[in-house]
Amino acid sequence: MQLATAALLLMATTVAACGDGQDNDAKASAPKAPATIPELTKDPLTLSFIWFEWPPAQALEAFANEEYKKVRPNATIKVNTVPNANWHDAMFTQFAAHKTDFDIAILDSQHIGEAVTNGNILDLTDFVKNNIDVAAYNPYLLAAYGQFPQAETGRRDENASLYGLPLLGDTWTMIYRKDLIGDKPPQTWDEMISAAEKCQADNPGVSGLSFHQANGSDAAAVTYNTVNGIYGGNLWDAKTRKIDGVMNDAAGQEAMDVLVNKMKPLTAKGSGNWFIDEVNASVAQGKACIAFNWIAASGGLLDPKESTLGKTREQILDKLGFATLPTQKTNLVPLGGMGMHVSAYSSAANQAEALNFMKWFEQPDIQKKWAAAGGVPSRTDALESPEFLNAGPFNKVYADSVPRMRDMWNVPEYARLVDIENTNVNAALNGAKKPKEALDDIAKEQQSVLDSGSRKGGGGL
Amino acid sequence: MAVSVDEAVSPGPVRDHPAPTRRRSGRGRSVLELALLVVLAAVMLFPALWMLETSIKENRDVYAIPAKFFDFTVTLDHFRDVFVAPDGGRSALSVSFLNSVVVAGVSTLLATVLGVPAAWAYSRFSVKAKKDQLFFILSTRFMPPVVVVIPIFLMYRQVGLIDSKLGLILIYAAFNVPFTIWMMKGFVDEVPAEYEDAAMLDGYTRLQAFRKFTLPLLVPGIAATAVFALIFSWNEFVFAIFLTSSDEVRTAPPAIAGLIGGTTVDWGLVAAASVVFALPVLVFAYLVRKHLVAGVTLGAVRR
Amino acid sequence: MSDTVPLTTDNPGPVASATPPARGRSRWLSDRRLAVAFIAPALLLLLAMSVFPLLWALYLSFTDYSATRGGPAHFVWFENYTAILTSAQVHLRALTTLIYVVGAVVLQTVLGFTIAYLISRRTHGRGLLTTLFLVPMMLSPVVVGLFWRFMLDAQFGVINSILGSLGLGQVEWLTQQRTALISLIVVDTWQWTPFIMLIALAGLTAVPKYLYEAASIDRASEWFRFRTITLPLVWPLLLIAVLFRAIEAFRLFDLVYILTNGGPGVSTETLSFHVYKVAFLGFNTGTASAYGILMVLVVIVLTQLYLRYLNKLKED
Repeated sequence: MQLATAALLLMATTVAACGDGQDNDAKASAPKAPATIPELTKDPLTLSFIWFEWPPAQALEAFANEEYKKVRPNATIKVNTVPNANWHDAMFTQFAAHKTDFDIAILDSQHIGEAVTNGNILDLTDFVKNNIDVAAYNPYLLAAYGQFPQAETGRRDENASLYGLPLLGDTWTMIYRKDLIGDKPPQTWDEMISAAEKCQADNPGVSGLSFHQANGSDAAAVTYNTVNGIYGGNLWDAKTRKIDGVMNDAAGQEAMDVLVNKMKPLTAKGSGNWFIDEVNASVAQGKACIAFNWIAASGGLLDPKESTLGKTREQILDKLGFATLPTQKTNLVPLGGMGMHVSAYSSAANQAEALNFMKWFEQPDIQKKWAAAGGVPSRTDALESPEFLNAGPFNKVYADSVPRMRDMWNVPEYARLVDIENTNVNAALNGAKKPKEALDDIAKEQQSVLDSGSRKGGGGL
Repeated sequence: MAVSVDEAVSPGPVRDHPAPTRRRSGRGRSVLELALLVVLAAVMLFPALWMLETSIKENRDVYAIPAKFFDFTVTLDHFRDVFVAPDGGRSALSVSFLNSVVVAGVSTLLATVLGVPAAWAYSRFSVKAKKDQLFFILSTRFMPPVVVVIPIFLMYRQVGLIDSKLGLILIYAAFNVPFTIWMMKGFVDEVPAEYEDAAMLDGYTRLQAFRKFTLPLLVPGIAATAVFALIFSWNEFVFAIFLTSSDEVRTAPPAIAGLIGGTTVDWGLVAAASVVFALPVLVFAYLVRKHLVAGVTLGAVRR
Repeated sequence: MSDTVPLTTDNPGPVASATPPARGRSRWLSDRRLAVAFIAPALLLLLAMSVFPLLWALYLSFTDYSATRGGPAHFVWFENYTAILTSAQVHLRALTTLIYVVGAVVLQTVLGFTIAYLISRRTHGRGLLTTLFLVPMMLSPVVVGLFWRFMLDAQFGVINSILGSLGLGQVEWLTQQRTALISLIVVDTWQWTPFIMLIALAGLTAVPKYLYEAASIDRASEWFRFRTITLPLVWPLLLIAVLFRAIEAFRLFDLVYILTNGGPGVSTETLSFHVYKVAFLGFNTGTASAYGILMVLVVIVLTQLYLRYLNKLKED
């Protein structure tokens, strides 16, 4: 009996505690960052980031500890990394817990909507006005990595609020074997496909194409979106929030047909779960004529230790070419990369340090140094600087791609939308669904996610 | 079903000799059976051996087509990489191993401290609705982790246990207590209650009798039980990946899973990390081999 | 437990060390209180960490609460449940889970029993054989999942390499609808066949010898002896093992997460995996809780079956 009473008591207290918590949540909305940086602490301080596990994360930690320490000797930079597949969950479960072990979240551009709506990150509008020279940036990059409501492409909305600043720019590069298809990269998507076809036929054991097809993260979705953009399709009509009928229109269908019926047959057998690392491996092992990958993930391709293409970087570069994506009906390329966002749950001292870091990071000379250290800057002057253009053979590809970028929908429902698209495109690529059926399913299911605000119960199925 | 479970599962008379009738085709059949057994053993063991082999191969041999079974250069680089970071410091993986030791160790200790006395009490005393209580306890162990993690997550964020070792320790202890109680109850049942009764006649209290006479006899059982709890906590993945995120807290299973999905995959390193991770479990499992049947059925089936 | 201490009950050590107390104190700490004091901490932990969370999930399952969006939870009563039970997406996952559970459990039962039978007929090296067979079962699902993913890789995986040298074609193990589910079943079978084997072996070695001897005098055929003596005696124990595996397979999450991530498409998404997506991708906590509660109901039914057989086995 005592036992039961104790248990009830325990439950009652916890329920009461939870009730309180949920009430507090109701008032949540993005808190504002101060317009000027508050006084910084003189005590030792660790400024923590969260990112996923890839080389730029280590590059950032090394670079920031080297350079930022020069102005703030008491600050140490720590970049926590999680597996890519776990990246969104790791950040948003901590946001949900209202306790973060990071001060600066490196969100994917499409995560901003979810974080802003939930009040997880600081509103930086006033801070940016007073501290950042917005004119120094390509207007779209500021919009992509900070603005909400966000623009998928084109220009920044001067009146929209800003919630982040660019950290690392990125887009897809076409990686091609100069020794197999010639020095000149294919110019149109059709040319690219026929070059791959010919290369595959001429070189047994080498497949024509290699690209992201996995059903995790945003892998297969970005692949489809890229082809969709190039063939003149649209992901949605942002004004009317309409996906069904827009994404699966004639252009969208053609894009899906090209992807599944023309491109997929040129890929290696069993490549249906490939993402960044597998595509890189296929290039490094000399098993692909033409590949597509994120620029920021391509550095390892030039490492002779990882490659069978040559014994030195120069030998490898004799065989590998990097080019901007071919065009077809449009010249759009996918926007990658991420911005920095300040966690609403970190301490005041750490938030101040985070703002100070961001202001420091966006200075022209620091951006150039970041470029030299392997980062991809966003300031126009840094992008055009020799430090950046000479740091890697793909950096010019990035600079040329900036005006051509298009992002996905940036809405709080992003995680669900991208999962629907990922799984269906992946199903189409692996023959589990017919291409048209997959595309119609994507449109229908995504639309119902966008429209589900009015429905009670069963959300998220 | 004429045989009682005690006969059916006790290490009773073991049929060691082949039945005498097998004369004519006996030998041929025996060879066939042995061959089948060897083939099955080879199939079952091959992945483990392949893992071991991959962990000592250089990366270009790891990806070789066709696969290299014998002629490869042996290297211990992957094992070095498990413990040493590229810059010479301690690798994140080795930190996660240490975290695993702490989390698995403390949660096992907690489960043992809570579970052993409870098992003794269930064995010795008439408790109201004892059978129902025991079955209830066991059934909590069967909850799908993915389901439990949702309310646990909400609960932990209220009390600040997200991304903390204590949080993992508590949930692992909660999963191990039912097991400990069931497993230990069997061991306590084997110790005659008369020992304690006799001691009490000599003026000892029940508690003293338990501590002085029963507990020493239970030590081997406690050790076996603790080893199984340890193995569970050591291998656990679902709670670890959803309740922790930082390097300082993350245990080995999510850390090993994190080795894939970057920009390059180092399968040699994955294999070496797996070997290092699996080795203690295999050693421990060998130590408790006598109690395996009870251990893997949560103490429900006793041999 | 072989080193049983010979207890000389009437000589509990020197008086100085123990100071046998007065009988009064033992009454003070009565058996009843002692039982409560010993059981309560364990039960409290279970109540706090298992029962309470489940009750909380039950409450949330009637609401539209979201763990990230915050805001108060609104009661939607049974709408989460009706949405789940009528959702084609859920039916698809239920079917996948069913195929997986049945496939994996049947396969490992047949295989596990066969191995146990073969081992039980050996005279020598039984201990060594058993120990070797048990290795897969002791590995973490993470290690198992990762390593099989490596071995099943269509390009450089060792399985396709072996098939290739046998003159057979390459198989896309993880990226085709059928083969992916089969791969999942195969990997689970690889890991858990030893479990069935272990328990079946416990049953087989306990079959009394005289039963066989009596049968051999009757010149009964091998198959007849197996069917009438071996199987009926081992069956109750085997059933427990099968039910146990069914419950575990029904809960499966980690292997899917690592081996296929639910792909291709959603064709290897189990119920557990779907609950995870609902709970942590969209943070539809209310729906996910209802989904989880429904899964728990299935587990409870299976567990009841399991416990009933266990009980029967114990009492028989």
